[in-house]
Amino acid sequence: MTRSLGRDSAVRNEILMLILGFAALVAVGGATVWLVSKSDDFNRQVATTLETKNEIVRTLSLAQDAETGQRGYLLTGEERYLRPYRSSLEKIDDHFRRLGELIGPDGPQRQDFETVRATVRDKFAELAETVGLSTSGRRAEAQAIVLSDRGREAMVQIRQLVSRMTAREDATLAERTEDAARLSNGLLAVVVLGLVIAAALAFVAQLLVRRQTRVLAAAQQELAQANHGLEAAVAERTSELLAANGEIQRFAYIVSHDLRAPLVNVMGFTSELDAARGVLKEQLDELTESVPDKIRPEAREAVEVDLPEAISFIRTSTAKMDRLINAILRLSREGRRVVTPESVSVTDMANAIAATLHQQTAGVGAEIVVDPSMPALVTDRLSIEQIFQNLIENAVKYLDPARPGRIEIRGRRVGPQVEYTIEDNGRGIDAKDHERVFELFRRAGAQDKPGEGLGLAFVRASVRRLGGTISLTSEPGKGSTFHLTFPAVLRPQTETQAAA
Amino acid sequence: MNTSNQRPVVIVMIEDDQGHARLIEKNVRRAGVNNEIRHFADGTSALQFLQSSETTANGPLLILLDLNLPDMTGIDILTILKHHDRLKRAPVIVLTTTDDKVEIQRCYDLGCNVYITKPVDYDTFATAIRQLGLFLSVMQVPDA
Repeated sequence: MTRSLGRDSAVRNEILMLILGFAALVAVGGATVWLVSKSDDFNRQVATTLETKNEIVRTLSLAQDAETGQRGYLLTGEERYLRPYRSSLEKIDDHFRRLGELIGPDGPQRQDFETVRATVRDKFAELAETVGLSTSGRRAEAQAIVLSDRGREAMVQIRQLVSRMTAREDATLAERTEDAARLSNGLLAVVVLGLVIAAALAFVAQLLVRRQTRVLAAAQQELAQANHGLEAAVAERTSELLAANGEIQRFAYIVSHDLRAPLVNVMGFTSELDAARGVLKEQLDELTESVPDKIRPEAREAVEVDLPEAISFIRTSTAKMDRLINAILRLSREGRRVVTPESVSVTDMANAIAATLHQQTAGVGAEIVVDPSMPALVTDRLSIEQIFQNLIENAVKYLDPARPGRIEIRGRRVGPQVEYTIEDNGRGIDAKDHERVFELFRRAGAQDKPGEGLGLAFVRASVRRLGGTISLTSEPGKGSTFHLTFPAVLRPQTETQAAA
Repeated sequence: MNTSNQRPVVIVMIEDDQGHARLIEKNVRRAGVNNEIRHFADGTSALQFLQSSETTANGPLLILLDLNLPDMTGIDILTILKHHDRLKRAPVIVLTTTDDKVEIQRCYDLGCNVYITKPVDYDTFATAIRQLGLFLSVMQVPDA
């Protein structure tokens, strides 16, 4: 008990450990997913940072392109030199919109962004003014504006701002790259941890499975041994029972034989007594003729009435005792007989029995109805015949003269068993006698028919020997039904053992 | 009952039941058999008598044997008799209440000459014993 309790708690601990292990594995998996998505975010941020940096640098190049175009045009007055300027002018608005998006509405670069946009706008305004003046032929005025250094200062400011913003983006980039590296290191560590936990779990699980298998195998073996022991115990008990049964039968046999021997004497000497009485009576008759006065009437009565009466009682009693002893002998001999199973058509058998009883049944206007489709049996022919013979004869014997007798014999198969019923509409048996009628020398109801109370005892013993059961349902004044159940196929192993 | 050299045959009756012994004797006599009948009520004394040198030297024997004896079974006695140098030729008639097939077979296997079951009904019993008596009166018994 304690051992199994200990084993139970150990198993509980192991299960708990496994659950914890799996929980850890799930946590590691979750962490991995989170880290991977995080790392994705970082990568995206790095890409944004790079693009932002490019756009910042492009601000300067657009401003320079525009200035280059202006300078060329102011120098040459030729329209084609304006091309870089116009191209920049076209792109500048889109550029700032894009850069504004990248930097975000309140990023750290916002202030510088606003400043650089304003400065570039100033620069472009100055450029537009000079280009406009030059186009309208006022080149001197345009040059004066250029010489005012307004444009140059704007450019310087732009260059400074761009350089500061670029440096800031570089710093961000470095920071984010470092974060990404840390993150991927963390990811690697978590994945390794997960693998380690998984490996540990697999190892523990296989240990557990192997141990469990060992325990199961041991339990199975134990069970097999227990089963074997049980079978042996059952076999032992069975053989003990068979031996006890055999002993009882031998006992019945010996007792009935020993009872018979004194009976021979009682009957024998009763006859001798009767013969002696005959001699006395002859003498008495002779004396009656010659000397009638000498004979006392008591002596005559003793010889002629008392002695014959006593002898007659002794004879009927010993005859009865002899029948009883014979019945016990028959029972015990039937018990010792080896049953030999063979196929028996119960329908044919019942019809044959009904035919032998025809005179009796016809005499009282009764009929015996045999179901023509009763299942056959593999059993001992002699025993089954005796059983049906007894039961059908009983049914005929105890019919109620008040109504026409009807005895029905039916049978049906129920799984591995066959059930037969013998139903009559005779006098019936009181409920209190339903068990008693099967006992040896016991009878029920009005004792108006000859019999020793043997038939049903014999029937029950025979039914049991054929592996069957017999029961009775009956109502006084309505009729009785005897129910027989037999195995469809009798296997006589135990019987042969008993006989051996 | 005769022997070749006309010595009288002694009937040895081994029967534990005094009543049976008396009834058997009465009915054997009624059949006109007048040979000496020696009655023994147990196996030991019967064997003692049979195996004594006096008996073996003195003329022919016929043995009536009951199977149910207090000290041994008739089967034991039958076995001893049929293995005895001189006694093995003496006819043995088993006269008992047992009508068990196996017992009957065993007795004949062991060399019993006749097996008779005692009927319980006295008329049948008396008839059987008287017929046995008649049978004995015409029987030839070898001189031991």
